[in-house]
Order: sequence, then structure tokens, then C-alpha cells
Amino acid sequence: MRLSFKGGIHPLRERHEGKNASKGQPIRAYIPQSVCIPMDMHIGAPSAPVVAKGDRVKMGQVIATAVGGIGIPVHASVSGEVVAVSQKQLLGKNPSTCVEIRNDLQDEWTELTPLGEAETAPAERIIQAVRDAGICGMGGACFPTHAKMSLPEGKSVDTVILNGAECETFLTSDHRLMLEEPGRVVDGLRLIMRAMKVSRGFIAVEENKMDAVKAMQEAARGREGVSVVVLKTKYPQGGEKQLIEAVTGRQVPSGGLPMDAHVNVFNVGTAAAVADAVILGRPLVSRVTTVTGCVKEPANLLLRIGTPVQEAIDAAGGCSEEPGKVFLGGSMTGIAMPDTSMPMTKANNGIVVMGQKEAVVAPPTPCIRCARCLAACPIRLNPQRLKELCDQQDYAKAKKEHVMDCIVCGACSYVCPAKLELSPAFKEAKDKITARRI
Amino acid sequence: MREKKTFRGVFLNGVLNENPTFRLVLGVCPTLASTTSATNSIGMGLAATFVLVGSNIVISMLRNLIPDKVRIPAYIVVISTFVTIVQMLIQAFVPSLYEALGLFIPLIVVNCIILARAEAFAGKSSVFLSAADGFGMGLGFTGALLLIGAVRELLGNGTLFGNNILGGGFEPMLLAVMAPGGFILFGLILGIVNAITDRISARKGAKA
Amino acid sequence: MNLRLSTGPHLLSRESTQTLMLDVLIALIPTTAAGIYLFGSRAAWVLAVAVISAVVFEWLWQKLTRQPVRVKDLSAVVTGLILGLNLPAQAPLWMPVIGSLIAIVLVKQLFGGIGHNFLNPALLARGILLASWPAHMSVYYLPTRVLGATSVAPAADMTSAATALLRPSGFAPYDLLMGNIPGTIGEVSKIAILIGLLYMLFVGTVTWHVPVVFAGTTVLLTWILGGDPLASLLSGGLLFGAVFMATDYVTNPMTKRGQVVFAAGCGLIVTVIRLYGSYPEGVTFAILLMNILTPLIDRLTVRRIYGMVKKHA
Repeated sequence: MRLSFKGGIHPLRERHEGKNASKGQPIRAYIPQSVCIPMDMHIGAPSAPVVAKGDRVKMGQVIATAVGGIGIPVHASVSGEVVAVSQKQLLGKNPSTCVEIRNDLQDEWTELTPLGEAETAPAERIIQAVRDAGICGMGGACFPTHAKMSLPEGKSVDTVILNGAECETFLTSDHRLMLEEPGRVVDGLRLIMRAMKVSRGFIAVEENKMDAVKAMQEAARGREGVSVVVLKTKYPQGGEKQLIEAVTGRQVPSGGLPMDAHVNVFNVGTAAAVADAVILGRPLVSRVTTVTGCVKEPANLLLRIGTPVQEAIDAAGGCSEEPGKVFLGGSMTGIAMPDTSMPMTKANNGIVVMGQKEAVVAPPTPCIRCARCLAACPIRLNPQRLKELCDQQDYAKAKKEHVMDCIVCGACSYVCPAKLELSPAFKEAKDKITARRI
Repeated sequence: MREKKTFRGVFLNGVLNENPTFRLVLGVCPTLASTTSATNSIGMGLAATFVLVGSNIVISMLRNLIPDKVRIPAYIVVISTFVTIVQMLIQAFVPSLYEALGLFIPLIVVNCIILARAEAFAGKSSVFLSAADGFGMGLGFTGALLLIGAVRELLGNGTLFGNNILGGGFEPMLLAVMAPGGFILFGLILGIVNAITDRISARKGAKA
Repeated sequence: MNLRLSTGPHLLSRESTQTLMLDVLIALIPTTAAGIYLFGSRAAWVLAVAVISAVVFEWLWQKLTRQPVRVKDLSAVVTGLILGLNLPAQAPLWMPVIGSLIAIVLVKQLFGGIGHNFLNPALLARGILLASWPAHMSVYYLPTRVLGATSVAPAADMTSAATALLRPSGFAPYDLLMGNIPGTIGEVSKIAILIGLLYMLFVGTVTWHVPVVFAGTTVLLTWILGGDPLASLLSGGLLFGAVFMATDYVTNPMTKRGQVVFAAGCGLIVTVIRLYGSYPEGVTFAILLMNILTPLIDRLTVRRIYGMVKKHA
């Protein structure tokens, strides 16, 4: 039996979720000439730079220190010379402080201090090591991992789930990681379980990646408390709430966090980074990113944090046609970017280039109440009704009808035959309700 | 200063600007019930006009004598007197119309137009102007009823005032003379009349 | 490089209002073909006039009121075809024109166009035609193919005023299924309707809830109340209404639970009208009445959302 949740959709099923182009491509490292590392890649206060123009840095050296309780440090992802510390307008609302480093191509590591093996490293020091390594959620959320691992007083967790669902379209980075380095993923899971004193760990994978399932099962054999579960291929199977419902049958209470259902969810990439941080002492300086769409050689690249998106596209052979749209992430929730000179961050699991023709959006037509959005909504909201309320700007009523529970997965917008912009309207409503304290 | 009211102004106001059927949408019940034919419409319209003029005049004359607290019962007494008169007249002289309108003649008592005019106009205006208001409102009501009745009779029966207009080949639309058809056609005519008058007043506004 | 900016999702399903309507039209092909086969070219004329006039009225209205012309979404074609299938083959050709005028202008456009009509346009048009010209609408002829005659033979003895009450007048279940019975163009051939339903279920245009619950409630209630359950299913307009008209997106509830309530209500009203009412058939009125209740049902069948649970202890 394949585990699943209620609702959901099958985006781009007719083209295998857009994954066929890159899923057979082994992970390949790409070394950029220079990197531009933003200080605000994670959720929480931006880190404070501790280097200045002209400094020489080694790979893995701290270039910015953590600020605040959930802040994390930032590390140099190449060795070389700092050429600028400046403000840049990236995808966020406000300009970000960025450290630019010219790569000397020596890849000279700074001094590393491993903590120990997966089963022997001292459990009480794992969370600190994760923080020092600058790890944040690599599935896209960027929430600092050490903060997620430290539970507040009175909360308890009995299950850890590693999210290998990768339900987003086009992305294959987690798939390749699980296939090629299952050992690192399992080590990471064990470290998280030991640090949090949890005895049950699941690695959840969608059934369109059976080769990864096999690899993970092999690696998990004989490891304490670890099992691999197979999920139905359905979007948004990898949504935190949906994953918890599918794997444990529990629901995260409305307005609550996964720990309120006694579960914590981490991305498989995050787990691999945790393993590197503890076993090798290496901070987070690179990650696997899928570069696909209208590129000549779709690829899964091991990219240094701060690599310009344009360089990553060129590393995948360059655009195969005049690009109409480039977005970071899959086609459901990916963020479109105005130009490709921006750097990629710790959370970028994919770069997708779309041609001119595909980038054209059909104009919306009147709603015909077909109820496809109701069937698609994994939260069981009524998007049709909420859209009416948002159009009337009646946010108080929208809140009453649970717009704040919307996870902005885009499933309703995807299925809408009238091509109405449903989930963007809900995102706006959520932001406005939060800002105005309605 | 308020515009001085003239007989002509008050009369035209009732027929056009504040047409009881198309503008105020008052007296919908007799409208729907009696517009199954043009003849019935005129009968009902004239009966209501008679009552309106009579009650407006009498209530206006008595307006300083009627205590405020009991004015509504007093109005009703006046109105029902006139309704009884008109009912007896119709029964005596036009028995066929009496048959056709049936219960709706005594029900003129509760026609909201009449009570509304008594309350809104006759109770606080001179006898002369109240008569003008009664005439205007009554003729406006009659005209509206006639329009609706003519359309319904034409569609539902192929005739106008009982004369066959559309010829033998026309198959009458029964629904037009039934209650649901009355609602639908009333709504449509109301919409069309308002669209036309809006356009006319917009043109006037543009000129001025 | 000029990159477009937009929020996700960046690629959308290929379904559009137009493709959904096209699927309904495809599902109507067997019924249309069966109607024309059974009733002859006369039926084809009625259907053609209904479809063309529906499209023309929609186009004209949108032109006259200076709205974007949406004839391409095919919804007027669907409305016209369903209206035509709801008429007897011998209906005079002005009837589909009047019906389309009512359906498109009165029921659909005056209430705001596609998606805003609170009643099924084709059904209300049929209802108004039925109430206005009962002589044409409630007298049904046996298919010309069954009569074995090529000419129209509207003699009184070949009519059946009551398609709903049929097995008594001696039709075998086979004839009921194939459509060798009196009725409107579209309602007689149940087998064609079922093929259409299977197509719509297969491509996902509709779910099983409304048709199955509607027909099921009618059969069950008829049986309980002492009627003939098989005849109640296979005669009259039940299947056509349950498959093609009660499933109209715009006028039925949005949640599955709501749709079940809606369909069960339709079944109840049909059974009551058929067994105890003065009309022989009640599908039209049943669906229209439940259409009116749809906003209420929608409000009463709000789903419990994810996370509406007590916190785990």
C-alpha cells in the first residue's frame, strides 16, 4: 500500500512531472569563478559579515556570524579573495548584504573539527555542530535546522520524517542524492534522531523514485529505528502537513507546528548536510541543484552556495531557446526571477528555464464552479469561495473561512479551468491579514 | 428655498418620475394579478385611481383633525369607504370586470400605493395638490398596468382588448398569463422601462 | 533578456472551460446520434436550430452589451444542444429558437453570463416551454423508426402523454433501454446516455456522485412507495437529467457531500411528482428546485479542514 493524504493533484503527469530530462543525470560538481553569498539566506536575522574587501578566505571559513537565537553563521564556499561586501537587491523585499569572493580555484579547506561517527558522536553536542555548520532547511523553507531540532519546554517529538517525496515538478536533486549517497542521508537521520532522543525515523519517498527507495532501504538496513516508506506520487505529497498525515495519520493542529503532532520533518538534503557537519566537520558550502527545462544538457549540479544562476545555466549547456521565464524551484511554487545574475542560495533545489511560448499565461475567464479546486486542496478549503472573498477584499471573512491555513501550494490554481489566480490571491490575503492584524 | 409645487408638477411626478409601479415598485400584488389582459389592467387602474383621488382629497381635508397616533386606522377607514363604493359601482355597471378581478377589488384597500400616498403626501399637503397627486399616481399606475397587461395579453393570448391581433397562426404562450410569467415579464418590462428612462435623463443631464 | 515575472504555479493544467465543454459535447454524441437515428431528420433540424440560435443569441447579446465575446468557450453550444435534446422531435422549429432565447438571454446573460446563472439555462427554458405550450411539449411521439413510417404521423393514438408511466403501456425493458419508446429526442435512448456518462467519468468531467445518487434515490423511493423501480429508471427523462443536467457545474453544489444531498433531493422530488403529482414527469422541476437550494446546500456542507483536531496530548 502506498501512503498518501486527502486531496492533491497530479501536475504535469503527461510529461512525467517534468523530471525525465534530469533524473538520469548523475550529480556533477561545478566550480564557479566567483561567488556572491547573501547574508539572509535563512529565516531569522541576517548574519553579520566579519570579513572585509581584500581579505583572503579559505573554504568553509566563517565569513559572517550568527545573529539572534535562531540565526546561523555563513561560510565561504570557495577559497580566494573577498572582492566586495555590498548591498544588492535580490528576490527579497529589501536589499541584502552580500559577500563576493573571487575563487582562487585552490579549494583549500579551513581547519575542520569532526565530532565523531553517526552512532558515536556525543548526542548533546550535535545541535551546536549543526548550528555552527550554518545548516538551514534545504527543501526550500530555509528555517535554521538547529532551531527546529531544539524543542521548547513542554513539547515532545516521537517521530522524525525525512522528506524525500520531491513532489515538486522538474526537481530531481533529492532523487539523485538519495540514489547516489544514501549512506550520508541515513547517517544524518540517525544524528538528528539521537540529538532529539527520538526512536522512530522514517525516510519517505514517492513511488516514482523506486530506485531511490531501493538504495535507501539498502542503506537503512540494520540501522536502529530507521525505516523507508513509499508514498503515492501526488502533489503536494512533500508538504510538511501532508507528509505527516500520510506517514503517521496525524494532523498538525490548525495554526500549530509539526511538533504539536509530535513529529519533525527534515529534507533529505538537510540530513546529508547534518552528516557532513558532524562526521566530517564540514559546514554547508555546496548543495545539489537541478538545472533543467529549456537547457541543452539538463543536469543535477553540485553547486557552491553563491554561484550566479546564469553560471549554473551555462554549466548545463546554456539555454536551448530564448528564455521566457526562469524560476528557482519547481513549476508549482518556484519563484520567478527578473534576471539570472542573482546568486543561488542554500534553499535552491532547482533552476528551471522556460521558453517564450510556455511562459505566456492564459487570461482568466469567469469561474464556472466546477469544484476542481475543492478536490485539489490538500487542506480541504473552498478556494472558490475564498477567491470571491479575496476579490471583495473581505479579509476578515476570509480569515474566518480559514485562509490562514492555506499552504499556498498552488494546486487550486493549477487545476482551475478558468485559469484564475487562486493561490496568489490567498498569499496576498495571508500577508495582508498578518500585516494588518485582522 | 423649496421649489413651489404646482398641480402640473405634482401630477407629472406621479405619472413619470415617481411612477408607482416602475419607480417605487409599489402595489406589485394587484399588478401581477390584474395584468392578465389589457382590459383588466385598465379596470384595476381606474378603480385604484378613483380610490386614490378620493382618499387623497378626504385625508388631506381631515389632516389637521386626525390625531397622529391613530392616523393609519383613520386612513384605512377612509380608503375602505372609497373601495366599497368602487366595488359596488363595478358590480352594478361592469359585472364582467367584477368577475375577472374578483377578490382584487376589495384588496385595493391594502394596496400600498394608496396608503403610501396618504401617508407620504395627502397627510401633509393641501387638498388641491393631494388631488393632483392622486390623479398622477393613479394614471401612472394605470399606464404601467396597461403596458404590462398589453404585453401579457398579446403574448399569452394573441389578442389586445380581446381583439385578435396576431392572427390565427400565432400559438399563444400560456405562461405569459400565468403567475410565473407575470413575474418574469414584469421584471423584464421594469428593467427595460428603467433602462430607457435612465438613458433619457442622462441625455437631458448632458444637455444641461 | 526579458524574463516574465509571475507567482507560481508557472505551468497550468491543460483543461479550460472550453475543453470541459468539449468533453460534454463529446459525451452527448451518442445521445444525439441515437436521437437522430430514432426520430429521423426532423430531430436533426430541431437540434441544429437550437444550437445555432443559442450561439447567435449569446454572440448578439455580448456584442450589444459590449462585453468580451466568449462564444468560443462552447458553453452556448452545450446549452443549445441540451435544450434541443429536451424537445420532442415534432416540436415546431420556432420552439428551439424561443427556448434558446430564454436559456441564453433570460437565464444566463441577464444574471451575469457564464458561471452566474443560478438555474440551469436549458432546463428553465424547457420548463417555460412546457408551461407555455403544453400541447407541443407534453405529447410525445413514438420514434419514427419504431413506427416504420418515414412521414411524421402525429395521430393521437400513437402518442403517450406520460413517458414516466410506461411499463403499464407495455414496453419491454429492452425497448426502454434502446429508446424504442415515446419521448424527447435525447431522453429515450438510455444506452446512449450511459455511454456518454462513462465517457465523462473516464475523462473526469463529472464524478459519479450526482448521477448515481439521483437515479439511485429515485429507484429506491419508487420501490419503497410501491411503484415500478425498473420503469422509473428507464423511462422518462430521469437518466438524461441525472447525467447531463443535474451535473451542471454552475448550478449544483461544490462539495461532494453537498452534491449527494442535492442529488438525493432531486430523486425525492422526482419520485413524489411522478407518483403523486399532476404532471406525469418531474425531472425538470426537481432539478430546478434543487438548483435554487444549491447556495444553501453549499453553505451547510462546508468541509472540515485539515488540522481541525484537538492537540495531541
